[in-house]
Amino acid sequence: MNQVSMTSALSTGQTSVAGASITAQAITKTYGEGPAAFHALGPIDLDIKPGEFVSLIGPSGCGKSTTLLLASGLEPLSSGTLEVDGKPLTRPLSEVGIVFQDHLLLDFRTALDNVMLQQEIRGLDKAVIRERADMLFDRLGLKGAQKKYPRQLSGGMRQRVSIARALVHDPSMLLMDEPFGALDAITRTQIRHDLEMLWLETRKTVLFITHSIEEAVGLSDRVLVMSTSPGRIIEEIKIDLPRPRPAHLGEYPEFSAYAEKIYSIFAKLGVYKF
Amino acid sequence: MTQISMLRRVAEPALWFVGLLVVWEILVRGFAVPTFILPAPSQFLTQMVVDYQRLAQHGWATTQMILIGFVAGAVPGLILAYLIARFRLAEQILYPVVVFIQGLPKITLAPLLLVWFGFSDFPKILLTALITFFPVLVDAVTGFRSIDKRQYYLSRSMGASWWQTFSKFELPTAAPYIFSGFRITVVVAVTVVIVVEWLNSQTGLGYLVLRAMDSSNTPLLFAILFVGSMIGVALSACVTLAERLLLPWKQA
Repeated sequence: MNQVSMTSALSTGQTSVAGASITAQAITKTYGEGPAAFHALGPIDLDIKPGEFVSLIGPSGCGKSTTLLLASGLEPLSSGTLEVDGKPLTRPLSEVGIVFQDHLLLDFRTALDNVMLQQEIRGLDKAVIRERADMLFDRLGLKGAQKKYPRQLSGGMRQRVSIARALVHDPSMLLMDEPFGALDAITRTQIRHDLEMLWLETRKTVLFITHSIEEAVGLSDRVLVMSTSPGRIIEEIKIDLPRPRPAHLGEYPEFSAYAEKIYSIFAKLGVYKF
Repeated sequence: MTQISMLRRVAEPALWFVGLLVVWEILVRGFAVPTFILPAPSQFLTQMVVDYQRLAQHGWATTQMILIGFVAGAVPGLILAYLIARFRLAEQILYPVVVFIQGLPKITLAPLLLVWFGFSDFPKILLTALITFFPVLVDAVTGFRSIDKRQYYLSRSMGASWWQTFSKFELPTAAPYIFSGFRITVVVAVTVVIVVEWLNSQTGLGYLVLRAMDSSNTPLLFAILFVGSMIGVALSACVTLAERLLLPWKQA
């Protein structure tokens, strides 16, 4: 019951409600020019549907992060086309929340003020956003952390604040770049679950970057496996597991099958040398 | 608890200082050192009381020059620091000039500035500005560069304007570095102003130093030294106070 009331509260922001779609065709990224140019990524095609949870997984340096920056318009494409909700993306996407591996909270703002930065900069209604912030703090296990400065919080708490910051303005898309990479295993499992529950209620489009097979399979509707130099998507795996997924994914025999599949792709790529 | 530690922080150095003066007094009296070489603390402290008015008047004149010169150096320093930290082109064009200016032994410019600008406050202000400019700039560049590049991704994704990015991300991040630059530089400015006052002034502690030397009044020289160092300490404390008021998160 609580769940139901939360759903309406979380999705009745003043901005958009439904998730956005991302369509990319043959996007590439090249750094530098001439003979010194470095072809980092692509060509890559993406077709992410509204409300879909998609993970990009691959070895270090495969261009996962670059893909995220391109898909959000934060870095210009070297070639290819990119559409969000069917419209060509010409400037940085603003209907978006971003979470990086480091929390990137401003150390001179309290946890709440870091989250309210979205409201200040976007010029949104203060009371409405404040209410959402309080609710997100609640949902993310941050009760009582509002007035604390980032360095007074644990690593897991900081990352939770940064997730709250990414969601407080009710964006249609959530971009996460190895958001749990710097956390310990226990915290990671808990935050993974909390994120899944939030996502189930709000159904934002999520592009999730990780190098953890467990995270990718544990969270995603679809996993895209990437290879290195230049980064390309070499395999697409639909994850057909019930939600919410348990902390211990080994409960599903299918989980092992999915994980095994990704392992074997990595093995073929030479990511593992055993 | 905090009150005790505050008391200790003030009382301990104060006690050391008083102890030093006492030892000094004993040594000067014990070895009968002539006053014109090294006056006893009691002598120059008495001098401070006697010459209270002159010291206050000239001390205030010097302080004004320090403040004006400091602001005249720090403001362009901060602006250029921002440009250098943010724009490659600005870095390429400005940094060589800045390094050249820094390489100049600027204090030797003082006589030249007097030839050019004569008896006015302008040479004092200009030289103080030139000398304070560089350390302020260097610390501010470090401060502005300390921002994680991905913060700009965040600010852009929020649709932040230039001003919002500057005021909400860049300036507060750089502020602790800027203040530490200020704290050191403001003390250097005391010396600079006094030196230029030797050369061309009717006012200020530097002028008073010359008067004291003319009359071999060593106790007055020490009194001036004392006042000069008090100005330096006071200005530095003002910077610290301003930092506490403006950057409350450093205390939390």
